[in-house]
Amino acid sequence: MRIDALDRATRSDRLHGRWMGLFAMLTLLVPLLLIGELLVDGLPALGADFLLRAPTDAGLGGGIGSVLVSTLWVLAVCQGVVLPLGLGCALFLVEHVRAGSRLERALQLTLDILGGVPSIVFGLFGNRFFAVELGLGFSILSGGLTLACMVLPLFIRAAEQSLRLCPDRYRSAAAALALSRWGFVRRILLPTAAPGIALGVVLASGRALAETAVLLFTAGYVTRWPGSWFDSGRTLAVHIYDLAMNVSGGSTNAAASALVLLVLAIGIQALAVALGRISRGASA
Amino acid sequence: MQFLSRNLFFVVTLVAALFATGCARESGEHLVVTGSSTIAPLATVLAERFEATHPGVKIDVQAGGSARGVADVRQGLANIGMVSRALKADEGDLLADTIARDGIAIIVHRDNPVAALTREQIIAIYTGQVRDWKAVGGADAPITVVNKAEGRSTLELFLSHFKLEAPAIRADVVIGDNQQGIKTVAGNPQAIGYVSIGTAEYEASRGTPIRLLPLGGVEASTAAVAAGRFPLSRPLNLVHRSELSGIARDFIAFARSAEVNDLVTGQYFVPPAVR
Repeated sequence: MRIDALDRATRSDRLHGRWMGLFAMLTLLVPLLLIGELLVDGLPALGADFLLRAPTDAGLGGGIGSVLVSTLWVLAVCQGVVLPLGLGCALFLVEHVRAGSRLERALQLTLDILGGVPSIVFGLFGNRFFAVELGLGFSILSGGLTLACMVLPLFIRAAEQSLRLCPDRYRSAAAALALSRWGFVRRILLPTAAPGIALGVVLASGRALAETAVLLFTAGYVTRWPGSWFDSGRTLAVHIYDLAMNVSGGSTNAAASALVLLVLAIGIQALAVALGRISRGASA
Repeated sequence: MQFLSRNLFFVVTLVAALFATGCARESGEHLVVTGSSTIAPLATVLAERFEATHPGVKIDVQAGGSARGVADVRQGLANIGMVSRALKADEGDLLADTIARDGIAIIVHRDNPVAALTREQIIAIYTGQVRDWKAVGGADAPITVVNKAEGRSTLELFLSHFKLEAPAIRADVVIGDNQQGIKTVAGNPQAIGYVSIGTAEYEASRGTPIRLLPLGGVEASTAAVAAGRFPLSRPLNLVHRSELSGIARDFIAFARSAEVNDLVTGQYFVPPAVR
């Protein structure tokens, strides 16, 4: 190979690298702009009082304390259902169903269809089934259960993928040591898959936190402090939507609430990463 | 993960127990109000004040559109529906009580010489057929069309009154809330916009350089809206199936009383004339 050809190659590589760097910088600009706008609009309204008080005057006064509590309750109900159900389904898919069998294909197809259903359809279903037919009404429970139906396929997919990543030699070693199947799942499979499962929780929570229409139909619009799971409770996304769309002069508080939602989402992500790391450390 | 598997049983039991108790929920002094998302913020503040003076009463307000308000009242899912329009002919089975009126004023800068615009002129300006104030009897200057963002109830009312479709509008500036609209028009002598009439009247009286244009020969004022004379306005109704009793009747009477005028105007609506 001639020297100058090599030289040209490295030069074009360098140029390429610069272009890629530029695009990477542009991608970084998006979150910066987003957070910047929210900070400028919402920071003046943000304070300890804002986080601890219930909204008054349709959200123009007071804070978002009760809304925040409702959001966390809805999320807790959702995860409380999704985690055992989803993990069980993922384990069944990985451990007990033969790859390529009719059952496996049917399950995968069902999950794909469920995952592709638009969220508003889940909202209508949740309103009809949980709120009306089961008589739960507009409540935190209705909202959380509907959300659970919605994020279940997402979580199962994430959990399944991380379970399948477990190397086959672990399985062989467990069999060689005469470890029972459940023992293998509990002591080896789940701990090694924990970071991926944690990621599934983050993804599911992220989608749940972002949902507006679904929760407007199920968890409802009430801003009172929730007293039980049967009370209607407005979540942050619904609150932001209402302030931005239906309340005149609500844009400052909408931006401040959006900041809180953002911090909440990042917080859940950090928590999940930390949990994943701890459980991996414990198994090592 | 061990932690998880140990607690799984408890979570399942808890959820099952909650389901079981769900069937036996008490239904004491509990009102459900559903419907129009335009009225929902007002109903929420009304409910807040009503609850404060009636201990033990709970009023849950749920937003979801006027159509849902009608449907929920018919199915008995709600005690009271919120409907941000007059009842239609096929809704004769329901009774409506107007708790407020929502009116929109067309506003221009105070220095704009145009005294009034006809319905056709406003449509022409908003669809981009007329782009210069000279064509409608004003100065020789281009028109800055200020429109509301998609999803705003003010936009819906404006569009339905002028029989326009959202994509037909040619806007130069898109604004969010009323304050932003007033600021935009006050800062631009060539601008035309539309905002909630209560806000516009208040700002004009405080010396903000805007002017409210009359519509169809009726001056744009909260008094005209309250009397139901102003064309670009709609009633905000609480609807119910038959004559109500108890808490529901008290709440509607409270919502229509003069003691909540401050809450109605606080949401930029106009209290109805007859109290």
